[in-house]
Parts: sequence; C-alpha cells; structure tokens
Amino acid sequence: MTTDLHEHDRDSGLAALTGLVSHTTTQHIPTLYAPASGNEITAGLFFRVGRADETLATAGLTHLVEHLALHRLGLSDLHYNGATANAYTLFHVTGSEEEVVRYLNSVCAGLRDLPMERLETEKEILRTEAAGRGGGPQQQMPLWRYGAQGYGLSSYNELGTRSLTPDQVRRWAETRFTRDNAVLWITSEQVPDGLDLTLPQGTRFPAPAATSALPTTPAYISGDDGHVVLTSVLRRSTAASVFADVLGRALFQDLRQEGGYSYSAEADYTPRDAEFATLTAYADALPQKQDAVVGGFVDTLARLRAGRIEQSELDSVRTKLLKMYDTPDLAAAALPSYALSLLLGHRILTPEQHRAELNAVTTQDLREVAREAWGNALLQVPGRGVDWAGLTLAPQHSQAAVTGTRHRSLEDDEVTLVIGAEGVSLLTPRGPVTVRYDACAAMTTRPDGARVLTGHDGFSVTVEPTLYRGVTPDRVAALDAGVPAAAVVPMPAREPDQIPQPRPRKRTSGPRSSGNGRSTWGWTTALWLVGLLAAAWGLLCGIITADEASATAPEWDAVTGVWILELPLAFATWKIYTARRQRTRS
Amino acid sequence: MTSTTNGTAGGGPTNTWGPTFDPYDNTPELIPLRTAAQAGDWPAVRAFLTGLDSVDKLSTASSLLADLPGVENFLERAAAESPADPLPRTLLAERYVYIGWDIRSGARADHVSRDQFTQFHEWLRRAEQLLIEVCAEQPSYAPAWTARLMTARGLQLGQAEARRRYDRLHAHHPHHYRAQVQLLQQLCPKWGGSWDAAHGFARACATEAPDGSNSGTLVALAHIERWLDLDIGEDAAYMRGLPVRDDLRNAARVSVLHPAHRPDWNTIGAHNAFAFAFSLGNHWEYAAPHFAFLGDRATESPWHYVPDHRSAFLKSRKAALESRGGGTR
Repeated sequence: MTTDLHEHDRDSGLAALTGLVSHTTTQHIPTLYAPASGNEITAGLFFRVGRADETLATAGLTHLVEHLALHRLGLSDLHYNGATANAYTLFHVTGSEEEVVRYLNSVCAGLRDLPMERLETEKEILRTEAAGRGGGPQQQMPLWRYGAQGYGLSSYNELGTRSLTPDQVRRWAETRFTRDNAVLWITSEQVPDGLDLTLPQGTRFPAPAATSALPTTPAYISGDDGHVVLTSVLRRSTAASVFADVLGRALFQDLRQEGGYSYSAEADYTPRDAEFATLTAYADALPQKQDAVVGGFVDTLARLRAGRIEQSELDSVRTKLLKMYDTPDLAAAALPSYALSLLLGHRILTPEQHRAELNAVTTQDLREVAREAWGNALLQVPGRGVDWAGLTLAPQHSQAAVTGTRHRSLEDDEVTLVIGAEGVSLLTPRGPVTVRYDACAAMTTRPDGARVLTGHDGFSVTVEPTLYRGVTPDRVAALDAGVPAAAVVPMPAREPDQIPQPRPRKRTSGPRSSGNGRSTWGWTTALWLVGLLAAAWGLLCGIITADEASATAPEWDAVTGVWILELPLAFATWKIYTARRQRTRS
Repeated sequence: MTSTTNGTAGGGPTNTWGPTFDPYDNTPELIPLRTAAQAGDWPAVRAFLTGLDSVDKLSTASSLLADLPGVENFLERAAAESPADPLPRTLLAERYVYIGWDIRSGARADHVSRDQFTQFHEWLRRAEQLLIEVCAEQPSYAPAWTARLMTARGLQLGQAEARRRYDRLHAHHPHHYRAQVQLLQQLCPKWGGSWDAAHGFARACATEAPDGSNSGTLVALAHIERWLDLDIGEDAAYMRGLPVRDDLRNAARVSVLHPAHRPDWNTIGAHNAFAFAFSLGNHWEYAAPHFAFLGDRATESPWHYVPDHRSAFLKSRKAALESRGGGTR
C-alpha cells in the first residue's frame, strides 16, 4: 500500500527529516507521519488548491467542494473540519485511529463522488456563512494589491455560490482534488490500516503567480476610521518571519505603551506561496488619536528601516521562537508545516537548521527585511492621505475610457456612463473608471437590467438602467454580448423597492477649505476704503493737473497742493496693505 | 549659557536710528554663520553649528539659516555627500519648509491659490521625508523634530500627530523653546486647536520649566495669538484686562525676569514678546523692564502683527520707560 514518494517531493528536502518524520505514500498521496503522545491522533489532508486558483465568477468553487466532500460525515462528535485558504485546502480531524480512518476515507469518497443533490443547499449555506462573516479592517487590502483575481479574490464575495453548475464543481474536484495535488500528514507511529484514499490521477499545480494592481509601491489607500493596516510581500526567510514579530512588538511598544494611541498593535507573517509571504501589521486607533497612530506607524517602520533595532528586541523574539522547539512532540507538531512546504514546493528545514538560522539572524538582516517590507508596502489609513510619508495613492481611476453611447447620470450632471463595443466607462470629474470586456473578471446580471462589471484590475462599474438616461434593453444587450460568457453571474430578481431610483441631483461641492482662516476682514475693509479714497483723489489730481495745464495761466501752486494731499493717502494705503499681509502670517 | 551678546545684563544700547529688527545685529555671534552660509561654505557652516553648546542654540541658528535664500544649493550637496549626517539633511529640510511657506504666504493668505497650496505642500513633503529619516535614525535630534512640527502644521496632519511629535521631542528635551513656540501655533484655533489647548499648553510650559527658563514666554505668545484673533475693539480690551496682565506678569517673573535667567539666543525674542503684550494692554510699567533690557534690539515677531512695527516699538518703549519716571539715554 505504501510506495515511494513522487519524484518532485523527493527533492524537496524530506530526506533531511529522516529520523524525525517518516514519509511514504498512501494510494499515491505523499504522506508524512510522526508519533505524538496521547490516545488520539490528528491527521490532515492538504490539497494545493484554494481561493487564489478561482476566478471572480467562480469564487467559492473550492469552498463548495470542501463542504460537499464533508457532507456525508453528517453530524458527529468527531472533531473535524475543513478549511479553504488562498493557496490550499485542508481537511483535518482529531480522534481515535478508527475515527480518523473513517473521516479520511469519507472525505476521499466524497471527493470521488460529490453529493450534487446538495449543491444548491450548500451554496445557500456558503452565502449565509459569508453574510455572517463580516469584512474586518483588512478586507480591502488584497484587491488593491492584486486586483479581482488570484490572491485578490479573498476581498470578494463568493460569487460562484450564485452560478456554479454541477459540471463545474465536479470538474474542479476531478482536476484539483487529485492524489498528485495532495499531501497527507498523520500524528502516529505508522500509517493506520484501512485507509482508502483513492483519488484520481492528476498533476501538482504550483501556487498561482501573483498579479498586480499596484503600479507603484509603497502605496496607500483610504480606509475606515479607527484602523491602520499595512500589508507587504516578503521573500520567505527565517529573518522575515522574525521581522514580523519584531515589528509587532515595536508597534505595540510605540503606539500602545509609549504613546497610548492604540489598544491593539500587532503584526503577522503568513506564507503566500513557495517563495513569498504576506506581512500584515495592524493598529487600532481612538478617533481623537488616529492621526498620531498613522504618524507613529510611519515612524516605527522608518526606525526599523533605519536599522535602529535594539539587540534586545531581536533577542526576545528569538527566544520566543526557539521555545517552540521545547515541545515534547516536536515532530508531530511540525507536521502541518512540513506538509504545507512539501505541497507548495518550499524548502524544508530540520529543527537544527531552523534553530541555526534563527540564531544567525542579525539586526542588519532585520533592517534589510524592513526595507523590503517598506518597498512593497500598501498602507490603509483613515482620514487624510499619507503622501507626505513618501507613499503613492493607489490608482483611483482607470488609465483610459472607452467610447460608445453616452448616458448622463440622472443624479449627477457631471457623471456619464459610456457603453461601448470594447467595454464600459463611468466618466467622473476626477477621472474615468473603465472595465473592458476582454479584462472583465465578472459581470453580475439582474433581470431588471442592472449589471455590475468588475475588471481584473479591481475597478468596477455599476450599470443601473434607472439611474442613467437612455440605458435601454438594447444597450444592456450590447453589454451582455461583449462580456465573455464565463464571466457572467446571474443574480436573482430584486424586490421593486430594492431597485434604485434617482435621488435629487447633486452639484459638485464647494472648494476645499484650507482650515486656517484668520481674521483679516477688518484690514481688508480698511484697505478698500483708504485705497478707494486714494484712487479717487489721485484721479481728481490728474484731472486738475490736466485742466490747469491746458489753461492760459496755470495755477501750479494749487496743483502741487492737491498732489501733496495725495501723498499721505497713498502712504496709508501701502501701510494697511503691508499690515494686512503680515497679519496673515503664522 | 554664558552669553557674550552685547548688553545682556539689560539696558541694551539705543541709538538715533531706532530699533533694529535684524537678528544678526541683535546677536552678532551669529554673523559668522551668515557669512559662511552666504559664501556657500559648508565646512564653515558645519563647524559653526557643531561648535554650539546647546540644542536651543542649534535650533535657533538653523531657523535663521533656513531663512537665507539660496542655502539649499550647498545644503543639497552636503546632504548628498554626507548621507549619514543628520545635520545637512535637517538644515535642508528646514530650508524647504521656509521655501514652501514663502510661496504660501507670498500672496494674500485668504486667497492662496490651489497652485500655491500644491507647491507649498510639495516642499513640505520633501522636507518631511528627509525628517522622517533623520528622526528614525536620531530620535533625540531636536532640530529635526522642531522642523517636523512645522511640516505637520503645514501638511495639516492633525492635532494628535503634532502632539505626538512634540512628545517625542519632549522625552529628550523637555523645555525646548522653539518647539514649544511651534506647537503653540498648532494648538491655536486657526490651525485646528482651541484656546483652552493653547493657553493650557502655555501654562504647562511655564510651570514645568525651571525658574529663569524662556518657556514662560509661551504664556505671552498665547495671549498675543488670542488678541490677534479678536475683532478690533475686543482685542485691546482683552489685553487691558487684569487677568491677562497678571498672567503676563507672573510668567515674566518666572522666566526672563527671574534672577536665574541666563540670557541666550531666544532671550531677545522672549523680552520682545512680553514688551509687546504689555504694551498692547497699556501696562507700561510692566513693559518697562523688558524694554530696558532690549534697548534697540527688536524682533520681527511679534511686532510684525502691528502695522508700523518700527514706530510702534519706539512709541511703546517711550511710554514704558517714561512710566518709570524718566527716559533712558
């Protein structure tokens, strides 16, 4: 029943684990196992498929397969679950050997023959799950970095729960949940008898390549009040994971303990694929303090980038990380991480190697990581922007607009919808938002004619026929004809009161106030009064001069007299002018 | 410090030309700095500044340097040549702040154009990014934090952020006069603060500082800001009021009039603030010791708040010194 590991797994450093972790294959599935104390065993079956493998239109596909595969297990006291992440799906269980065997067999049986009669019910369950989940302050970060594709999809609703067909779901299971795209781990002395994990033959899919919706980094976006979030992408390394802990402690120290601006301040390091990991740092903020949280966040990152990292900061993180090797069931505890590395094609370090790397990390290494973290950073801040800290606002508008029929907004005179042969654009005073049909990740459709198109870059245009002039069924049909069928997601009809109606027209708001008005009106009034008087007297002087000059006997004494009176007026005007200017300084 | 500034003990010189508002005339020790800066002689500028014996002096000197047109040329070169040295980057950043502020204030301030604001903010951002680096490397470097109070204000980063910057500086330099003056501006309503915050901060500066420190002057500066904000009529009444007079008098007693006061490069500005504030309220007898110390040594701030600052200074000084029962000469 057990044979050699696949060739691609043999090269991945498993040999280094000899004596610590045993490995074999179970019905062609690479299997890692190591004993743990206690009566129960834990097992996990990883598949290299996750949300990032889907498209916006099929989002939720993997999650659906996971739910369907678990359905036949029904209600039981067994401690089991499934989890769908960006780059993997995990079925895991804890129990007696028989229970674990029964669970794993059932999961594989389920994957071989998904209970399609449950499809609509499970879709409904996923929609309900999503509604209860809520976004969290980090929700928008992936889509701004990656767009509406790959690793960006975790920002979105699982649209596939609307439209996926049994064929699509079955095909996904057959191609992605295969023996060649899986790794099994079990915390036991040997692989239990009675396992039947027969799965179709397939191929190992590498984790999807990252897409980018950020032309320039470090970048920033605006987010809700009360939260500051940073994400970055780091090359996976021991130093990078240490850096995440050092950053978390530094933020806590600077923002909470020293400043008292935040309650939570933390950082996290999560592998994304074989080569890269996602760094996430977060701090909350009291409403009165959030500009200080942004400033403190920027300064903490600048400090680490400048290499002003205390040896004690590094040492305490290192000590904490080394402590994880104190566990008695070290090998068993490390199985999930080894299995995931094997699945993703990431190098596997023995505990000795990892300990040695941890001990070798220097503050200089951390400084390098800090610079990499800043270079790839996306920062979400409440309130005003952070361009002052050298970050660039993430693109808020598309590069170009399409041409086509123009439909004026019924709510705002300055907004026009364009439906063209190549895509749709919303023209706004600040710039266009365009979704091209050939780069459309998904278009949801309503029977009432409403369409929401989302491009791979994450830009989205909503076409509500009730809100734009002349969006006739013909124009909606033109739109439908342009979008590839695979991107179309039909949505149920809306209640009549859910269909938006135009609100009163809006004009553009007034100019931004500068926020530093000062009391100069008195000087302004004085300047006008005295200035006008001086001008009027000056004019009179000119007339008198001209008049006298043309007279036969000019009275130059009188002319000089009126001009002398003009001097103090001109002088007073000048003085008031300068005084007013000076008063406006701060 | 033990200053060699002329006439530090009081009764500064007066002459027939009236007051001088030139900081270099008033503090001739600074003339070599100006000479070196105008010659673009970075080594000499650097030697002058690194030879100073207090951060207060360094901050004062760097702000004067930043007001000299063209110094950015040699400072940019110096910053590029010595990327690890906080001094050239900080001086350059402060110069950028002044360039930006000149663009902003050059026109009638209530009609600063969008383009001027764009340029203003652009200069401040350039400054801020240099200063972020310097403060990250040298968290106790007072001139950089002081300049960051100006960038925070101009870029409208908010009250809490300005306060955070001041607190970072305060942790190392609890009574840094120039930084206190900068934060006071931020705490005034015109920059998003409140009178409670401004007066409260000024009072705290005065009470926390050791006797004889310049920090008590913040009390006078806060009252002057309040006066500036009031409408004509109300403003004079405010300054004539006894609560303000007593507040000023107490602040002067614990700061520049305290026996422990050692004149430094901010002392002339501090006496001018008190002299000005007392004069606005016609409290001539209280203005007198300040004018007596100053002689002809006036400062642009706060006298630029009145139309003819030269004659206002002379007139006020005359009234103040006469209230003592006789002029000086």
